[in-house]
Amino acid sequence: MNELAVQFEGVGKRYKHFSLENVDLELPTGSIMGFIGANGAGKSTTIRILMGLVHQDEGSVRVLGHSMPAEQAEAKLDIGFVSEDMRLYGAATLKWHMEFMRPIYPRWDQKYAEELARRFDLKPQQKIKGLSHGQRVKAALLLALARRPRLLVLDEPTTGLDPVARVEVLSELMAALADEERTILFSSHNTLDVEQISDQITFIDRGRIIDSDDKEAFLDRWRRLRLVLPPDVAVPRLPGVVEVGGSGRLPVLTTDRFEPAMVSVCNELGAAVQAVDTMTLEEIFVANVHSRREQLTA
Amino acid sequence: MHSDIVISQSDSRPMYLQIMEQVKQRVAVGEWAPGDEIPSIRQLAMALRVSVITIKRAYLELEREGVIVTQHGKGSIVAPNPELSPRLYDEEFSEHVEKVARLGELLGLTSEEIAWRTKEAAKRLNEGRVSEAGMAKEIV
Amino acid sequence: MNYAMVRGLIWKDWYFQRMAILLAFLGGAVSLGVVAFGGRPGFTLGLILLVTVVVMLSAMTVMGNTIEEREKQTLAFVMSLPISYVEYTTSKILGNLLIFVPFWVVVVGGSVALIVVAPPIHGFFAFAVIMAVEILVSTCLMIAVALVSESKGWTIAAMVTGNLALNVVGYLVAHIAGIRKQMWGTAIYWNATATILVASEVALIALLLGGTFFIQSRKKDFI
Repeated sequence: MNELAVQFEGVGKRYKHFSLENVDLELPTGSIMGFIGANGAGKSTTIRILMGLVHQDEGSVRVLGHSMPAEQAEAKLDIGFVSEDMRLYGAATLKWHMEFMRPIYPRWDQKYAEELARRFDLKPQQKIKGLSHGQRVKAALLLALARRPRLLVLDEPTTGLDPVARVEVLSELMAALADEERTILFSSHNTLDVEQISDQITFIDRGRIIDSDDKEAFLDRWRRLRLVLPPDVAVPRLPGVVEVGGSGRLPVLTTDRFEPAMVSVCNELGAAVQAVDTMTLEEIFVANVHSRREQLTA
Repeated sequence: MHSDIVISQSDSRPMYLQIMEQVKQRVAVGEWAPGDEIPSIRQLAMALRVSVITIKRAYLELEREGVIVTQHGKGSIVAPNPELSPRLYDEEFSEHVEKVARLGELLGLTSEEIAWRTKEAAKRLNEGRVSEAGMAKEIV
Repeated sequence: MNYAMVRGLIWKDWYFQRMAILLAFLGGAVSLGVVAFGGRPGFTLGLILLVTVVVMLSAMTVMGNTIEEREKQTLAFVMSLPISYVEYTTSKILGNLLIFVPFWVVVVGGSVALIVVAPPIHGFFAFAVIMAVEILVSTCLMIAVALVSESKGWTIAAMVTGNLALNVVGYLVAHIAGIRKQMWGTAIYWNATATILVASEVALIALLLGGTFFIQSRKKDFI
């Protein structure tokens, strides 16, 4: 049994107007990783390479112990994949899809599939083309979950879902993780969802992984310090400051390497620390991206 | 048992702290008695739709503080420790007092003024309680 | 190669085209009737009808099951199944040919039977066989282009080219010395020229299908 469900090493892919470069990714078995990036950052490309649908130009990709894309058929027996740009057959019913998948996957759980249909409020006899967007997403998820895969790869699973459906989907994803051998990788714009359910988080921007860490570590490392400076005191130099905002006498420093000792350092330098704010994942992501882009143009 | 912990999305504190607080409250109030089994990390993660790693962190901190005890491979139980309540509130009290001191300094108050204001607030609270009790007596 | 998966994929494609297949079958039966009982004018007319039905059927199935996978975005769904390009390509080629070939056999068989049965047109035998295989070549061209290009435009171009080629080849073959002499004769004839022509057509089919597999294996962006 592999400890890493997914392993990317030095993966690169070049397109005319976009390239993925030096992508390293490690996803331990049993964990759930949230993949955050702006549109066009490379999330979908990375996921397609993971599924063997796109062949990387360089680097190695191992999924569930299989080398991709060479061993994609074997790997995909244990993978459930749902993507934004994937469609089921409109002319067929959900039931037809379930019957189609059943003999393909050895661990197909028909009872679970029917239970999911109830929970997701889907009628199996209904044709796919008659379903709303949210229902289609849930149908695709049902088909992915019912095969009891070892790895779930989801490209924007909650995008376009109403709040109630989103909670249902998140519940099912978490329930799937009850089995410790199951792993989930999902990409999302919804930083709130990612922040809540992810164990690991990876940021991607313009084809490069810009940060990847344990979720709690991220939330611990990043802080905003609100300072009050007396007229003759300069802004203190602190490690890991990626952004300095606010005004001259009321600067706000954003740092990605916060230590409680920093507060006393500031005080000693004469800068009163008015507040130390935690940051949401969204704020962390935006600050991270801005500072990287500024570094590149500097 | 799992679903009675409720987290607020609008609470800006880190998730693991919210969870820790709710566990400690249940213990302080007596709903979870010493020696009782508490939900496993995975069970709670699923029930709350929160990552395993966050629950793990909360449990680790709770164990460090002596609120719970994790038995290797067998889940976690409430610690047989009667000294919980004072510790729960003492930390929070210290945090708030530090904040009061910082704010006071910003406002330009002296430490005597800060102490006096705090004392007045405590007095007012006590007076409020007395008059409430008085009103209750009258009604009865 | 996972034969069970290939079977499943072929069955899926046929399921979604069951109406088209049924209609083509009926159309083919009607055309055969016209050929058999329509007398002299019926023969030519029926044959044209038959060829049209067969060509249209193959066009519809190829478009339906190959191009539409990309257009309707179901390709990602299919490729998320435990298959590689080998199973996918095989299922499309086999699935299309297995629909087409029975019709083709009926057309060829029917035409050949008629030629054999009616002495005045015995001479057409060699020509008919060569043209029959040529139709097969056109269809394989269309399947190959559809799979490799995944583009409606290119596939239509291939269809048009195939049709054109049929007419051009028909004209050329009918005027090749070795065939022309015998065509209007009353004897069932076969010669080396005919063998060479048929052999090259078969080679062309092998090239088209083999080439498709080769190109598909080299595709770096399957989706």
